[in-house]
Formats: sequence, structure tokens, C-alpha cells
Amino acid sequence: MGIITKQELNRLIAATAKNTKFYAPIEGNNGIEYAETVGDQPISYDYVNVKLSPKGLFFPQREVLCRFCGDTIQDIPVPDERFIVFGGRPCDARSLRELEMVFDDQTSKFQDPYYMVRRKNALIITLACNEPATTCFCTTVGGSPTESEGSDIIVSELGDDLLFEACTEKGKKFMETYREFFQQPTDTHFSAKEENAKKAADALSVFAIDGMKERLDGIFEEEVWETITNNCLGCGACTYLCPTCHCFDISDETNGKGEGIRLRTWDSCQYPLFTLHASGHNPRVNKKQRMRQRLMHKFSYTVEKNNAIFCVGCGRCVLNCPVNLDIRDMLQTLYK
Amino acid sequence: MEKQLQEIAKKLIEQKVIDIFIGYEKGSAPLISRPYFIKIKDANAPENLAENLVWNSFCSNNLAVFLPKYFETNPFARKRPPKPKIGIVAKGCDLRSIVALIKEKQAPREHLVLIGVPCQGMIDKRKVEDAIATQTPRNRDAEILDYHEQDGMLNITVKGGQTFTFKKENVLQDACIDCRYPMPEGTDYLIEGKAKEPGDGGYKKIEEFEAKTPQERWEYFMQEMSKCIRCSACRQACPTCWCKECFAEQTDLKWIGVSTDISDTMIFHITRIFHQAGRCVECDACYRACPMGVDLRTFTKKIGKDVESLFDFYPDFDQETIPPISTFRQEDSDSFITEP
Repeated sequence: MGIITKQELNRLIAATAKNTKFYAPIEGNNGIEYAETVGDQPISYDYVNVKLSPKGLFFPQREVLCRFCGDTIQDIPVPDERFIVFGGRPCDARSLRELEMVFDDQTSKFQDPYYMVRRKNALIITLACNEPATTCFCTTVGGSPTESEGSDIIVSELGDDLLFEACTEKGKKFMETYREFFQQPTDTHFSAKEENAKKAADALSVFAIDGMKERLDGIFEEEVWETITNNCLGCGACTYLCPTCHCFDISDETNGKGEGIRLRTWDSCQYPLFTLHASGHNPRVNKKQRMRQRLMHKFSYTVEKNNAIFCVGCGRCVLNCPVNLDIRDMLQTLYK
Repeated sequence: MEKQLQEIAKKLIEQKVIDIFIGYEKGSAPLISRPYFIKIKDANAPENLAENLVWNSFCSNNLAVFLPKYFETNPFARKRPPKPKIGIVAKGCDLRSIVALIKEKQAPREHLVLIGVPCQGMIDKRKVEDAIATQTPRNRDAEILDYHEQDGMLNITVKGGQTFTFKKENVLQDACIDCRYPMPEGTDYLIEGKAKEPGDGGYKKIEEFEAKTPQERWEYFMQEMSKCIRCSACRQACPTCWCKECFAEQTDLKWIGVSTDISDTMIFHITRIFHQAGRCVECDACYRACPMGVDLRTFTKKIGKDVESLFDFYPDFDQETIPPISTFRQEDSDSFITEP
């Protein structure tokens, strides 16, 4: 563990730039986004959650898998390069851990090379959450504003000081390599950290969801799904901003010369094409069925398969739904 | 106004005139109201649910978007359930969208009970947040915790503890500032009250945009398009985007790719917006729905302005006029057809 000031962090980033890419939240034209930096830009700390989660750094919205022309196929290898992601919140780190359960499923014969190569190459430095927003509910879904699940290093923001604490071997190695940048933390740092953690935990609202899986499994056919989804527009904003939503589609794009690419792109259970069969039949024709799939997937199917709720309580869907269809309201209605 | 609205809804429910009522309820966060549905058949004491209806400065969703689904006919269905009768709250913009849907045969007038509400304009939450963020030490302190609206003033308490007061007219949505038709006409019921002064359509900003060089306009278009994540919120929030199958979702053959490749994103928006020519009521539902803050309104408004100047048509409350996209006249402008 060690203390580094916010100014010094940029020096550290510049030092890492020789070996690795460094992504951090930076204020740009489109607000705060994860952007590559070599330590020459001010890093933003003024956010609760970056709107587009770090998911896209591991599982890009658009990924070319191979190129083809006639009978020739050329694989596009996954970029095998090291990178550091700084500034994700503990909920984001948890979501990356959950994506790993899917893309590196131990019960399956197949692992996803695209995700796993990136995951192996990445060092995740998480910024503990001092001030959750009113839309946050991580503690309800089993997380915490200060947990280290999924992170290599957890950082506590203490005014101008940043307290780095390694939580994996990878994190320890990083701290060791760059030890000259870090000062020894004092008792004041730790007590400030404890105080922040307590404040953050107290600020979060909690609602009951224990036994949600059993509850959901029992009401699959009930009318309530229609009632709660009356105002859903059927867009995919919630799924594209969700850090744990990971459904994708694979499609080909060709040009007139017969050259083409095979693409993997994000997909959303809210879209009509998602389950459309070649026959023209669509087993999920309406928004009730689509939203039910979204919630069942997060709170029942993944609980059964991975023993994890695939919602980290980041509140992105709550904040950005065009009709304020609040997942917390839906869950509480379903729980009744 | 809210009370009268609730009373009308309650009466319609009690007299069994309607099957569904669509209005607004209080949202789960400050400065938000959201669409609210009362389905009379399924509800226990539905007349009491009318008390949940609200009318305030945050009812910005265009409710017309929900109508076409209820009147769809599935040619393959064995049973054809009777079409419902729907009571719906309509501001000026909702009503103009409803009129467009009636003309396009997506919502039969005789199945609608329209409750017009004189509109004072809706508050733009993003404008309020941005204004507060400039006055708090950090953006994070600007999170709105509580609000109170009275007599055209909006009082806000934020996380940082400070309070702010805004004049409502200073934080209205741009669509509302520009709105030419805040007072609904031709509805079955009209809530008593005053609407805001009509705006001038807001074409001045478009003229400024038009005055830029093609390169500047292109750069701005590219900049906005590059923010898009293709979530389709704009399309789904738009009442006139009712195509049963969107061109963007054709797979055999495919018109455009599904990714965020900039050319696909551009084609998606260009096609969607052009398809709105003479149909878009400039309610800005697309612009508000966009989670990434893409400035769609400049482009939709430009199309609206072109249609008005070329075809002398603007989508108003008149159910008899035919939108230019649905008709042809010998004297129609063809100045935009150029030699290659």
C-alpha cells in the first residue's frame, strides 16, 4: 500500500506509458469518458459513475473477428497489449468479475479469447466510492462502495491524497515496480478511509431482494410483468449502459467487391431482432416478454448458473431511462 | 389543473367509457414525471388510481408514442380482440403527434378520448443540472435531492446542501421555448388554464446553422454522430417512428450495419430523420431520450423548416390536411432535385 497525490499520479502514468496503455476518466467533448492518457491530461474525479462503463474496454461494442474474401479467411487476433484501467468504481470492478464468469465459464468447453486476453492483460485500479448517488443501490445487490471484488488495486480518495491498496498479486507487483512514487500511509489516512467508507455505506438506500430468484421463478406467467412494463419504450439504453449486460450478435458486412468482415457487436434483449427465428417466428414479441427476460437473466438465470446477481447497482439504467422505468421500482413490485 | 385532470379521468373510468387511461405519475427522482397507465379491466378499484395522475412541469414524455401498439392488427392472429378505447392526456405536442397518427391510420380517432392540457412548457432537467453544476464546487454536489415548484419558480436543494431558485421560463426545454402550439385544439376535454405564449418556431438557430460552411456543418454532424451508441432510444421515443419493421432491422437483405461504425450511425440517423419530413412535430422526444446527449434537434428541425418552406406544410392540429410525404401535387417544389 502507498500514498500518492493526484498530481503525482500523472507522473506515475507517464512512467507506466512505456510498458502499458493507461485509461482513466477524462473530461472531454462528450462529458467524462474513459480515455487513453500518458499523464499529460487532468484526470477527472468529479463523477459518481462514468456514463459508459469500462465494459467497452474489455468487450468492445464493435469487434472485427475476421476478414474474408472469396475462399480466403484471415483471422484478426485480439490485440495482445497490456493496459491499466483507472477510476472504475467497485460496482464496475464487480461487473468485470461477473463478465469473466460468462466469458471464462469453467463449466463450458469454450472460453472467449477476446474477453480473456484483455482481462489477463489488464490491471484494474478501482476508485472506492465516497459519495454514492441517490440512484445507487450496490449494497442491495451484494456489493459495497468500498469492496475490492474484481479489482487489482483499490484506491481511496482522501482529499488530494490517493491511498493505493493492492488486492491481488498483479496489483502487488505493480505497487512494487513503481514503489518510488508512493509514500508510506499514516494512521490519519486509514482513519479517514474508514470514515469515508462508513459515510458511503450509510448513504446508500437498501431494499429487500433476498429470495428474489425463487420469487421470480414463481411468477413467470403473471400479469405483473405487463403492469410494470407499460411505459417501456423498447429501446436498448438500459442494456447498452449496463456494465453487466453482455449479449452480443455476430454478423457479416460485405462490400460490392466480395470483401467482408465478420463482426461481433453488442446486442440487446429489448430489440425485436434479438430472438427472431429464421422462420419468421419470434418467441419474444412484446416488451413484457423482453423486460422479463432482462430481469430474469440478471436475478434468476445467472444466480442459478453463476451464483451471482448480474446487477451491480450502479444506477446507470435508472439515470438514463427515457421514461424513468426504474429497476428498483420494478424489483420491489415483483418482490411483493 | 391536476385536480380537474384526475376528476375527468375518474369520471371516464367510472362511466366505463374507456379501457385504458394514459397520463403521468410522479417519477422516482426529482424533476421527473413518467408515463402512467391505468388498465381498467385488470385493476382493482381503477377509479381510485386516477389520484396517482399528476400534471406538473416535468410531464415531457410524448404519450402519443404508446398508441400505435394498441391498434396494430396482426394478419396471422386467429383471434382479433376488439380495439381498446383509450383516454390520453395531450399537451400541444402530444396532440399534434396524435393527429399525425390519426392521419396515418395508426390510431383511430373514435377510439381515443383526448384530454387536452394547456401547456406552460416543460422544465429541462439537464439545463437545471448544468446551471447548478457551474455554481457548485464539484459536479457531484449538483445532484438534485429535493425541489419545489410554485408560481413559475423552481426551488432546488442539492446534495452539497445549497439551494437554488430558477425562474421556470429560464430552464424550459428548447422545444417548449420554440413551441408554436402550446394550447391544444379539437380535444374532447380541455383542462382549464393558461398556456404559455406561443414561441416563434426557433428557426433562427437553424438559419445560423445553415449559414455555416458545408465543412463546418459536416464537422458538427460527424461530431454529434460519433457520440451515438445505437441504442435506438431516439427511434423508440418518437411517436411517428411507428414502422412495424425498421429499415435498420432488416436482415435479408441488410440495409445498414448494426455497429457504431460512423457510416452506419450516420445512415441510421439520416434515414430516420428524413423519414420524419412533414411528420415530425418537433417535440424533441428523440433528443430527450438520447442517453448520450446527441443533438438530434438541430437536424429534425432543419427538415421541418425545409418542409414548411418548400411545401407550405407544418404538422398542426388540423386532421384534414395531407402531409406532403403522403401526397403529390403538380406544383410541388422540386428544387432539391439536382443534376448529378
